[in-house]
Amino acid sequence: MQARPHARADLITGLVFVTLGFAVGIESYNMPRLEERSIDPWTAPGLVPGLLGIVIAVLGGAMALRSILAGATRASASGDTDAAETRSARTRLLLCLALCLGYALVLVGRAPFWFATGLFVFAFVAIFEWRLDDDRQTRAGKLAAAFALSVAASLAIPYLFETLFLVRLP
Amino acid sequence: MFDGLIAFAGAFSAFANVTTLFNVGWATLIGIVIGALPGLTATMGVALMTTLTYRMVPEQAILVLISVYVGAIYGGSRSAILLNIPGTPANAATTLDGFPLARAGRAGEAMGIATCASVIGTLIGVLFLAAVAPALAEFALNFGSYEFFWLSIFGVVIAGQMTSFDDALKGWIAGFLGLLVAMVGQEGIHAEPRFSFGNSDLAGGIALIPALVGAFGFAEILSVMKNRAAEMATRSVERVLPRVSELWRYKRTIGRSGIIGTVIGIIPGVGEDIGAWVSYAAARRSSKERDQFGKGSREGLIAAETGNNAAIPGALIPALTLAVPGSAPAAVLLAAMLIHGIRPGPLIMIEAPTFVYQVVWMVVLATIAMGIFGLALTRPLLTILRVPRERLMPVVFVLCVIGPYAITQRLFDVYVMLFFGIVGFILREMKYPMAPLVLGIILGDILDKNLRRALVLSDGDLTPFFFRPISAVLWITTLLIVLLALPPVRNAATRMMRWDRKP
Repeated sequence: MQARPHARADLITGLVFVTLGFAVGIESYNMPRLEERSIDPWTAPGLVPGLLGIVIAVLGGAMALRSILAGATRASASGDTDAAETRSARTRLLLCLALCLGYALVLVGRAPFWFATGLFVFAFVAIFEWRLDDDRQTRAGKLAAAFALSVAASLAIPYLFETLFLVRLP
Repeated sequence: MFDGLIAFAGAFSAFANVTTLFNVGWATLIGIVIGALPGLTATMGVALMTTLTYRMVPEQAILVLISVYVGAIYGGSRSAILLNIPGTPANAATTLDGFPLARAGRAGEAMGIATCASVIGTLIGVLFLAAVAPALAEFALNFGSYEFFWLSIFGVVIAGQMTSFDDALKGWIAGFLGLLVAMVGQEGIHAEPRFSFGNSDLAGGIALIPALVGAFGFAEILSVMKNRAAEMATRSVERVLPRVSELWRYKRTIGRSGIIGTVIGIIPGVGEDIGAWVSYAAARRSSKERDQFGKGSREGLIAAETGNNAAIPGALIPALTLAVPGSAPAAVLLAAMLIHGIRPGPLIMIEAPTFVYQVVWMVVLATIAMGIFGLALTRPLLTILRVPRERLMPVVFVLCVIGPYAITQRLFDVYVMLFFGIVGFILREMKYPMAPLVLGIILGDILDKNLRRALVLSDGDLTPFFFRPISAVLWITTLLIVLLALPPVRNAATRMMRWDRKP
């Protein structure tokens, strides 16, 4: 017998939410009650987050229970999706994530903004437009387009934000 | 009720000038382009524009944001019709009939119908905004801490129920996670830091705009890059302007969808996308041509586009009068109003009555600009849609980095954006809706302060929470929503209704 496609993922997330709820509950219980300031106990800082922690744990528990009833512990449903397309989608996603995180976490704040932006835009366009079966001329054209776009972005974005709208950039 | 309509006429004279017209023009156009481009949503557009406009005069800044909002919700219909990809979530229902029309070589007709339906839908919503907002603000003066507590719970529960993909539990989890996010940082009564773990940035709290740019910007980029690239249905368009007789034929559908869209917009957190779906479903139920729905029905397209645009003024009604946004873009707008020193809430009609009517005019002007651009700039917009995602998305991500940083100049906000982008993407892949999460972040502070204040007022007695009239209406409605979402209760209710109808 096969399970619903999302059942196993729902079971895992349900358990994550139960854990999160308990962790929030414990952290809230341990929050200062500010008795030394003689505050009204009903205004204790941990009251509302503690209640929210309980609600999230209950909802997470309901999700986990429901997914077990839907067959999360049984064999997962065989997807009729194209395996090659799934692999390709996963590669595109990881590549996009790596480029974006590299730009935001490594380059921004350390390198000049115009340079970081130019480099990121060039790398993003060049990598995603790269095709193994392209001939040399097509490839050169694509790289030139990526370079032109990166130069335009590194000049236009700082001008638009800093000069026209007086916004500071990282 | 008619005071609103009278004051609405008076507010125009103080507001009409060349700067206003100029700002409406460029902002609406940018909004249409943002909406038309898959990967750029209305929420993201309004959030980015908030950072661009925060040095402007408050009225002009809000005007720009509203214009972007109106333009973007409409602009999304372009990619829905031509690419079968909704430019914003609000245009998902538009794809059902818009794309088949385009494939049948009637893309111009579909775009013309979508434009006119969007204009009429917004104007229907505007009438309600002008008439209902002052009355609701006056009514909301009766709200105390007990009522605001229940309003927060009601908002999260109903948004979770209506925006989830047939799975209310996931919607509620998203909503309560949003409330929990709002608990991070110094709390509002004793300024005690919560969940900051000694980090001064976390003690400052999670700001709404970085979280929104992450959940609606970065997460969208990841989705767009993960999915296969779309093919355009047509590369040429014929006649765009629809015939008046054709629109008149669907007058009932237009009126009904406008009202449904507005009402859905008023419901906290339940925005334009649900407005379109509910309007579409209602139109299909009552249509004589229901077999054409999903195959290129003009009536279906009209219902979807009237419904989503009518939800814009609808979403502004609770945002202005209760400080509770009716949709995700309205949540950003609410944050922008606070940045500009405008305090939405029950007192707005006492503190800034002119502003409410100015908002009404802002929507009207943006709607007119939207109609003109929509009908006149069909071909340039077609060209914009041909920009490959590989070239567009890196630029969008650069904007996602700038947006959160620009307001507070903290790299921490960029990291918040990244966190919410990745978490938002995972949650969306697992069919968790984002709207309740956003609403939860807004309502968290209201819930926190009002629950504790109410408990102090009643000295821990829970009776006023349940027996004050407005509180009672709110908690009973919330309970009914929860109960009706449970399959056994829902099935029993359906059986009872069927049994009741039997002769």
